Amino acid sequence: MKILVVDDTEANRKLLAWMLEDDGHEVVEATNGEEAVELFKSATPDLVLMDVMMPIMDGFEATQAIKEHLRGTHVPIIFLTALSDDASLTKCLSIGGDDFLSKPINEQVLQAKIKAHSRIKDLNEQLNRQNKELTRLHQFTLREHEIAKNVFENALAASILDSKNTRHYISPAATFNGDLLLVTISPSGGLYALMADFTGHGLPAAIGALPVSQAFLDAAQQGASVSSIAREVNRTLEKFLPDDMFAAAAIAELNAEGNRLTLWMGGMPDALHTDASGALKQKIPSTHMPLGILEDDEFEREANIIEVADGDRLYLYTDGIPESLNSEGEMYGENRMLDHFDGASSDPLTSLIESVNRFTGHKDQNDDITLLELICKPVEAAVSGDASVLNLELALPWTLHMTLTAEEMKKPTSPVAQLVDMISSAPGIESHKDYLHTILAELYSNALEHGILGLRSDLKKTEDGYLEYYQQREEKLQQLSCGTLDITVSFRVEGRKGYLSLQLDDSGCGFDVAHRNHSTDEDSFGRGIDLIETLCDRVSYSEGGTRVEAEYTIHT
Amino acid sequence: MPVESTLSSDGKTLTIGISGRFDFEIVQEFRASYGDQKDVSFIIDMRATEHMDSSALGMLLNMRKSLGDNTKIAIINCRPQIKKILTISRFDKKFDIE
Repeated sequence: MKILVVDDTEANRKLLAWMLEDDGHEVVEATNGEEAVELFKSATPDLVLMDVMMPIMDGFEATQAIKEHLRGTHVPIIFLTALSDDASLTKCLSIGGDDFLSKPINEQVLQAKIKAHSRIKDLNEQLNRQNKELTRLHQFTLREHEIAKNVFENALAASILDSKNTRHYISPAATFNGDLLLVTISPSGGLYALMADFTGHGLPAAIGALPVSQAFLDAAQQGASVSSIAREVNRTLEKFLPDDMFAAAAIAELNAEGNRLTLWMGGMPDALHTDASGALKQKIPSTHMPLGILEDDEFEREANIIEVADGDRLYLYTDGIPESLNSEGEMYGENRMLDHFDGASSDPLTSLIESVNRFTGHKDQNDDITLLELICKPVEAAVSGDASVLNLELALPWTLHMTLTAEEMKKPTSPVAQLVDMISSAPGIESHKDYLHTILAELYSNALEHGILGLRSDLKKTEDGYLEYYQQREEKLQQLSCGTLDITVSFRVEGRKGYLSLQLDDSGCGFDVAHRNHSTDEDSFGRGIDLIETLCDRVSYSEGGTRVEAEYTIHT
Repeated sequence: MPVESTLSSDGKTLTIGISGRFDFEIVQEFRASYGDQKDVSFIIDMRATEHMDSSALGMLLNMRKSLGDNTKIAIINCRPQIKKILTISRFDKKFDIE
């Protein structure tokens, strides 16, 4: 090892250097404290032998400077001293020295001390390395958690937790929540809620939240029934999670009118149904196994349907509430919980949470806690700044015109989809897209099939004729060499409403407007016009049946 | 596949799923899906159906005619706009619409 020898007496330095070099060490020499500090910085020795009394800067001062420079890393400093009083020796150690050797130096004691300090230095370096590694890993884990947290937040962002119909309380036991709560609106204007409690807590439990939220939100967007959602989530969990992991869950749907609840519950504590004052009407037990256990074909999808009165409330919660422990290890329990649902407390959600927190006395939470209050009244979606709502102040009138030739009508994809996409990009139209698609598709089919291709509906009277009709349609369309179809769509605002006028002109022979058929329940044809007439406020034919005009109203 | 039919494990229920657009483009496939099934009840699953037009209504009525009034045909998982089309056309008289 490299050893720095500090002594103002040359004879002492030479003697030490000779002993050390003989032992295989490399030696650097300094003649006083100041030189020692400089040399220490440039030569980075592994051990220092330091004289005490020196000119310019003494050994004590130099030692303090060196230790300060080292900042935590360990290089042993051994004092060489002729002093023998206890006070001086104590000072050597208290200002940062690691050991002392009495002058005159005994070679064997010197060798033994160097060995001992070299061992300490090695251990120290090992510890430092491990510390650094731990710090690095810790930073890494923190960063990973940060990223994972971000992913979770994004995945759950499509959920609206607080609306006019819901209030909630979530308190995870760790950074990651093994409980999951999602609320979203249904396409039919109702509200869906899902509460799930995965086995365990922390990150492993939270992992299940990702596929579940995706499956739930997708199914909800499609307007699936509660039992279908439960089945879909079950299928997802079964597919993604290990066998020993599953989720107790409650899935609820409140219809748009707010008077009917549909509830599927598996492995959850009893849901509480109260009246508007918060007094318990009934406890609703789980009737199914938790999600993620049963195979798809064994899955039980039956859901409870509950008729509710205006202002009724439904409380869903995870077992973290009744199983909360106080400092004596006692559980909060169901009875303490039910006390809040006697109608005396107008706000059971708040009083329950306060009571649980008082009970546990800020002790570390033993499980994730989630509580949802669903208020049964007509659903008002708390979606702010909905771009699909027509803003009459800003709406401008416009007209879109399209002329289709025979070649364009032959294209394999219907022009209707493209046209509807264009129209829907105008402000305020998007939410009417589906109905407009239906109307335009029917108008287009009629104009093309009857106007231009001259097909006859009565062919569709029999099942075989029905197939024949569409075969003829295909053949005649392929043979079509001339003919045009003009589509004009215009938008205007009048008073508090927007109007979309649709006009189709075909170059065909037209049809007998006065004698067009209204379909009966049995007929498998002639339903298109009925559909258009129901969806539009006005439909009229002119120009001998080659022109149809329809008007669709956009209410704000 | 826009039309997919699956027979339940007990062989008593045939589920026909229709994805994307339910219109004349799939008239052959739709007819083939229930074609020669005997003594089963049918579920038409519309969860993935984005649009339907009047030709699809015709196809459903043909199915009803071909299977007879005593066969149970349920139409499930309709989106609101599709449900509206079925309601306008009073299809609840001939089908169980969930």
